[in-house]
Amino acid sequence: MAIPHPREVQMAVVQWLDERYPFTKAINEAMYQRVPNFANAFYYCFGGMVFVLIVLQLVTGILLAIYYVPDARGNPAAAYTSVLFIQNSVYLGWLIRGVHFWGANILIIMVLLHMARVYWTGSYRAPRELNWMVGVIMLLLVLVLALSGYLLPWDTKAYFATEVTIKIAGSAPPAFLGAFIKQVLQGGPVVGPPTLQIFFTAHVFLLPALIVLLMYVHFRFIRAHGIAEPM
Amino acid sequence: MADAATPRSTRRTFLGWGMAIIITSLTVSGILPILVFLWPPPPKGQTKGPLTIALDTPIDQLSDGQAVKFTAPASPNSAFIMADGGGDNAPGDLAFGGFVVMNQGKVQVLAINCSHLGCSVALNEGAKSFDCPCHGSRFHIDGTVLRGPAAYPLSHLTWKQGQDASTIEVDGLTLGF
Repeated sequence: MAIPHPREVQMAVVQWLDERYPFTKAINEAMYQRVPNFANAFYYCFGGMVFVLIVLQLVTGILLAIYYVPDARGNPAAAYTSVLFIQNSVYLGWLIRGVHFWGANILIIMVLLHMARVYWTGSYRAPRELNWMVGVIMLLLVLVLALSGYLLPWDTKAYFATEVTIKIAGSAPPAFLGAFIKQVLQGGPVVGPPTLQIFFTAHVFLLPALIVLLMYVHFRFIRAHGIAEPM
Repeated sequence: MADAATPRSTRRTFLGWGMAIIITSLTVSGILPILVFLWPPPPKGQTKGPLTIALDTPIDQLSDGQAVKFTAPASPNSAFIMADGGGDNAPGDLAFGGFVVMNQGKVQVLAINCSHLGCSVALNEGAKSFDCPCHGSRFHIDGTVLRGPAAYPLSHLTWKQGQDASTIEVDGLTLGF
């Protein structure tokens, strides 16, 4: 029997798949878009860099969740010792945690640069206002992600930084609303194990799900409108 | 050597292979650290060494054919290391309990794990045997098989006499969790 050329095998597989769902058409539509000349500048890459950084945060975050223990009870708490364990004992743990940490910092910088570019080129103008609004919500989500992730190492810096943040959120007027926000964020009378549980759930389940959903909406809007011409 | 049928190496194929090498090395350098990270590290505080065990019945008071059960200390969490084994057990496997057996004047220390699938065998004092609750394997008090499905004898633990007749030192591992 003659051995088929690899390209024949490849074409047979693609054909089999395409007969069941038009994958080739879908991928072509998604991948092959003309980029206008005015968008061929480095500052038009900031949004894509934000996307790459968010994917990097998702990957390294999932990896960290394998060893992280969201338990603030006891002294030293398992949350703290598990971060030390990741940093000192897990193979390349320092690298994965370092990428997650610095990725978060750089992500905020890139989000701000991306927004500055959109503002500078006036890309928020009609009919793209909705996408600007979605972007602003995502900016807030990124900031809340950074804030909630800051508590997770459960060291002194994390603890007191969160105490300050919750106090600021709790000072929102009117007084009963501030007290309510503080109670919800803190999960009790002081920053303690329930606070870590709430922040962990937000950081690991709720906010990533929301931001991935909004990224999808953001990209669908971009595809629908095309890249805005600069002012 | 080159003839008309041999495809000529062109700039295009060179660039194609160059791109393939760059993309492959980027993918590998991305995935490799992840795989290294996923490899489980040794738990902190895991130490090998003899575990001191207090027996319910001192060894010198065991009559012939009698056995006394003991378990690995729970704080810190520890386990014994098997010296030998067949079937489900192997040298170096961990056991969370065992029996000190007096058999024809000789003292033996056996691991509790059935050699079939690892259930904890129970001492049957009347029949002077170890019976497995899971699949009905039975072992003689000296660890040899009386009845299947187990095909191999119970594993031995490496041990030595402690300070007195009611303590023994068994080879083990502090698990570190």
